[in-house]
Amino acid sequence: MASYFIRRLLLVIPTFLGITLVVFTITRIVPGGPIERIISQARQMDQGTSGGSSGSQSAQPDDSPLSPEQIEDLKKFYGFDKPILISYFDWLTKVLRMDLGVSTRYYDPVWAIIKDKLPVSIYYGLVTTILSYLICIPLGILKAIKHKSFLDSSSSVLVLTGYALPGFIVAIILFVWPAAQWDWFPLGGFVGDDFEELTTSEQIWDVIHHSVLPMIAYMLGSFATMTFLMKNTLMDHLASDYVRTAIAKGLSFRGAVFKHAFRNSLIPLATHFGNNISLFLAGSFLIEKVFNIDGLGLLGFDSLVERDYPVVLGVLVISSILGLLGNILSDLCVALVDPRVKFE
Amino acid sequence: MRINPLTLKKIRRFRSVKRGYYSFLLFVFLLLQAFFAELWINNRALLVYYEGQFYFPTYRSMIPGSVFMLPYEYETNYRALQKRFEKEGGDNFLIMPLVPYNAFEMDLQESKFPPLPPSITDRHFLGTDAIGRDMVARLVYGFRISIIFSILLLVATFAIGIALGCLMGYWGGKFDLFFQRLIEVWSSIPFLYIIMIIASIVVPSLTILVLIYVIFGWMGMTWYMRTSTYKEKARDYVLAARALGASNLRIIFHHILPNSISLIVTFVPFSVAGGISGLTALDFLGFGLPPPTPSWGELLQQGTSNLQAAWIVSSTVAALVLVMVSITFIGEGVREGFDPKMHSTFE
Amino acid sequence: MIFKILQQALLAAFLLSPGPFSGFAETLPANIKWLSNNSSPIIASPNAKKGGTYRTYMTSFPLTLRTVGPDSNGGFASYLRSNQMSLIELHNNTEEIIPGLATHWAYGKDGKTMYFKLDQEARWSDGTPVTADDFLYTLEFHRSKHIVAPWYNNYYTEKIDRVIKYDDHTLAVVTTKADPDLFLVANIGPTPKHFYGELSKDFVRKYNWKVAPNTGPYQIDAKKIKKGKSITLERKKNWWAKDLRNNKGRYNVDKIQVSVVRDQTTVFEYFKKGRLDDFILTFPTYWHEKAKNLEIYEKGYAKKMWFYLDQRESPAGLYLNQDKEIFKDAKLRYAFAHAMNIDKMLNGLLRGDYSRLQNYSTGFGKYTNPKIRARTFDINKVEELMTESGWKRGSDGIWNKGESRYSVKVTYSFDGHTPRLVLLKEEAKKAGIELRLQRLDGSAAFKSFLEKKHDVAWMAWSTSFRPRYWQGFHSDNAHKPQTNNITNTDDPELDKMIMSYRDSIVPKERIALAHKIQEKIHEIGSFIPTYKVGYLRNIYWRWWQFPEVPATRDASFLFEPLANGLFWMDEELKKETEAAMNSGKTFKPETIIDKTFLVN
Repeated sequence: MASYFIRRLLLVIPTFLGITLVVFTITRIVPGGPIERIISQARQMDQGTSGGSSGSQSAQPDDSPLSPEQIEDLKKFYGFDKPILISYFDWLTKVLRMDLGVSTRYYDPVWAIIKDKLPVSIYYGLVTTILSYLICIPLGILKAIKHKSFLDSSSSVLVLTGYALPGFIVAIILFVWPAAQWDWFPLGGFVGDDFEELTTSEQIWDVIHHSVLPMIAYMLGSFATMTFLMKNTLMDHLASDYVRTAIAKGLSFRGAVFKHAFRNSLIPLATHFGNNISLFLAGSFLIEKVFNIDGLGLLGFDSLVERDYPVVLGVLVISSILGLLGNILSDLCVALVDPRVKFE
Repeated sequence: MRINPLTLKKIRRFRSVKRGYYSFLLFVFLLLQAFFAELWINNRALLVYYEGQFYFPTYRSMIPGSVFMLPYEYETNYRALQKRFEKEGGDNFLIMPLVPYNAFEMDLQESKFPPLPPSITDRHFLGTDAIGRDMVARLVYGFRISIIFSILLLVATFAIGIALGCLMGYWGGKFDLFFQRLIEVWSSIPFLYIIMIIASIVVPSLTILVLIYVIFGWMGMTWYMRTSTYKEKARDYVLAARALGASNLRIIFHHILPNSISLIVTFVPFSVAGGISGLTALDFLGFGLPPPTPSWGELLQQGTSNLQAAWIVSSTVAALVLVMVSITFIGEGVREGFDPKMHSTFE
Repeated sequence: MIFKILQQALLAAFLLSPGPFSGFAETLPANIKWLSNNSSPIIASPNAKKGGTYRTYMTSFPLTLRTVGPDSNGGFASYLRSNQMSLIELHNNTEEIIPGLATHWAYGKDGKTMYFKLDQEARWSDGTPVTADDFLYTLEFHRSKHIVAPWYNNYYTEKIDRVIKYDDHTLAVVTTKADPDLFLVANIGPTPKHFYGELSKDFVRKYNWKVAPNTGPYQIDAKKIKKGKSITLERKKNWWAKDLRNNKGRYNVDKIQVSVVRDQTTVFEYFKKGRLDDFILTFPTYWHEKAKNLEIYEKGYAKKMWFYLDQRESPAGLYLNQDKEIFKDAKLRYAFAHAMNIDKMLNGLLRGDYSRLQNYSTGFGKYTNPKIRARTFDINKVEELMTESGWKRGSDGIWNKGESRYSVKVTYSFDGHTPRLVLLKEEAKKAGIELRLQRLDGSAAFKSFLEKKHDVAWMAWSTSFRPRYWQGFHSDNAHKPQTNNITNTDDPELDKMIMSYRDSIVPKERIALAHKIQEKIHEIGSFIPTYKVGYLRNIYWRWWQFPEVPATRDASFLFEPLANGLFWMDEELKKETEAAMNSGKTFKPETIIDKTFLVN
């Protein structure tokens, strides 16, 4: 089993290289990078008012586009002067030394920028994962025991509706009504603007108040999958021979459910654990955009829109490592819950 | 065509899932009305009777105003023509569709500015969007485009997925291993990012969008097909067929594919739902189809920035909920019907 | 070894820059006629009171606090630039020259040199006196490769020849060529040498978040920078220039707090909740819809203001690429102009708030030719022009001739303009022209314009003090990428006029030429003017006060804490209003409409 996990871990390497190489290449060949931005800015300034000093307006047009040497200098400054593969390896060696480079817009280290957003992402990631398990497992059990009852079918409708709607639409619905129209919740953000002036208990309340709606939007999609998984596997187990035998031997139904079927039914849910955690950590930039939450997802989106490629790649590194490790973590969870599983 | 009794049984089972079945009927209705939307939402008249002659403008090239003695060469304004006929009181008449607007024209009225609230007299049953286009028209035509998008996407991804998945599962070995890695890499690429990058440098047409989506979305189906082929391949009947000297092609087409069909069918509704929500998200962010293409994403965008005109966001959200929920219910029903694994209940 | 390198560096510095060494050799020419100005009209109110905080927003956090180098041109840059005074200032309304860092100025006989006497009191925000050396350093600084600002490198090499220091407070700025508006070119700002010192390769990173000393009324409080959230500027209590004639009664608030709020919806919500001091209502939908029946306005807690401007207008419009087959025919260009229903766009969609732009150079005073009127929507004219050129309407109503069809791509970049273009598209269809809309992101769109890949560009250039034509319309800049002649206008007659206009330094001659050039541009018809905004509109809490004429002729905002700094907070009124809001007492709703500068 150890050898299986070692092999899995080793396979992460080529995959990681593949992902980063593809995205790196794309960032290189697509126009709109920092150099083009400077060229077009220079052009606009040529025509514009912002020339000269102190905002005074320059009188005559200036007749010099950037010279090839100047553009060459810019390329060197941003490290665009080498072939793609070579600069990819430069970048990669830096990454291996835990150096994600410097943002081409904020000129701050990428890692520092990402670190700033991590607490928000970790908060949302952990809380949503825990909450969704806390809700889905009991609900799944209830639905399995009361299969085909009114409770079962009505909750199915609710859960499926949540599943049907993409997360960002739920986010919009929650933003438009409970937040904007009815004023029940704040209009987005992770904490309020006056956060620092609040007492600790008010601060906690502030965070919760701000995070209720985004949490719902995050979780709703995974509710259905997890609830149904729980329900269906539990029902399979309840119908299986070993549970019937146990009951025939005098075990109460309750006992059968919780002593035997329940534990076995957790296995498929466990396979989801790693994925869930990495999914929530990486965040959904659409939801973060709607609620204006300064997390990793929004950072990735913003840096992409602004063509800040070092940050784009940095976020990608973090999220793909999380994703790949998440998969392995899922396998580990399965191995922990189910003693029969042997990975080879 | 002879329908396999097993398939009949599956269909019967699907029909017995009421939620799914009624959703299916509703969805078929939505599709039909959307594909014939020109007949009930259009600024062209259904029928014009003018000076003893009948005209059917709906599905033909445009009729310039001069045909009806109007002083212009561009497309006839049938709403104005109708008012004129009514005023003249002669034999001439025309019949307008229920919603007499198309999805593009802005209804800019005197002293009223868009967005106009819902109004039955103006026949803007759900009001207009922020620049005066009819909401019903935008919603229905937008729905049609996202359905077309989803179906194209579905056909393409399923074709690739089934072909490649089968080969991977059937051949196995290095071929399988290579594509496994490729799929893992490919599915970790944040493909919405890629689409955003591409959309900012070219204006994506429907074909380009489908293409990009296919390039980054073929993996799911492939993976399922691979697993399924892999399982089927090891089954006794395949071994038996092979022992009888059946060719590889025959085995794939006659044995493995038919047995995987039920799996494929269960994915159809979810794939359609995925297509719709994907296109809506892109349009919402402004990276989708170019304006003035009617689109739900664009309406959501308008609605959220014009909260005071609540009818925009409300009707779009309602339409989305209706469509997505019904598709999901269909999907649930199909799965119950076609997935041979029945859930037994503990009695 | 080290010594040798140092020596070389010194030598290089000596040769390349007119640095501190060259200054002492020069003596001030005799009989210079020093000018000054102590009678410009006062724009501020004598009743203005100091104090309070003005809270405003920015849509994103600045990428840097540098004013040069990569990304130094964002929205926040104006807060930094407006706090950097230059040698002389132009009066906001009359545009006469008034003292800035220099108390006196004089023109050299060669038409290229301007002399300045610095104000002895002038100080950097860290207390260091501003001297002629800081102006010498401006050249060295802006010519340095290390600032990664090729535009400035070029400007300070090609426009400014050198700076001469006569003594600590007397200097001359020599430009490379005679200029009718020499005071604009020669008017450079100082750069704090004691702060930057010797520049090195890491300039961009090193100074990215450093607060550089300035000479203006406010300075950023480095301790109150909250990265990603807000920046606060603080009024200098002992600002050296606070008693200058033109500065009294201005720059009144103690603090300017600029916080990040990402989108307009949220900004408006924040304003209504009192977390921001004003909200801009320039967009018609905001003034007529969102701010209508607003409770805080109806109860009189907030006021509205509509202030008309008289300003140089950006040439906003549709630029037709004449290298595309369809636009080679002047008649087809005219037909295109007549197919644009700009009036319906202005009246139907924009509620008549904006007005039609008539001329490429509007608002330049005498330089604007008032006779030029933009072409208006007229289907009959389109029919006439198209038929004359041998085109026919196809079965879809769109003009065609042989293989060609009158269908063109309109490239634009701002999402908010989509409705306007959609309207034009629908109307153009009636005239038989199909527009295909193509929205690209800002830099991609601009790139395609510069590469002349567009059919029609929907854009606006920014304005300059005097109209300029060489870049936009001279054939030197046509038919090749990376130049600003995006219409590919190539007309020998126009070329000649543009060159004479550029070379002339006689204002009268220039004005006459400008009129002729504008006529010619109209005749060529490759630019279709769209609209100008022409006003400022705001809603703000009632404790904010303005002078009798609330803003200047060409203000960019009503609340402009730096460029104008005319408004102030009335502490009493604030208390009164807040008490009233608690008790439910109301005031009369009030809308101020100021037409001082309205032009028709």
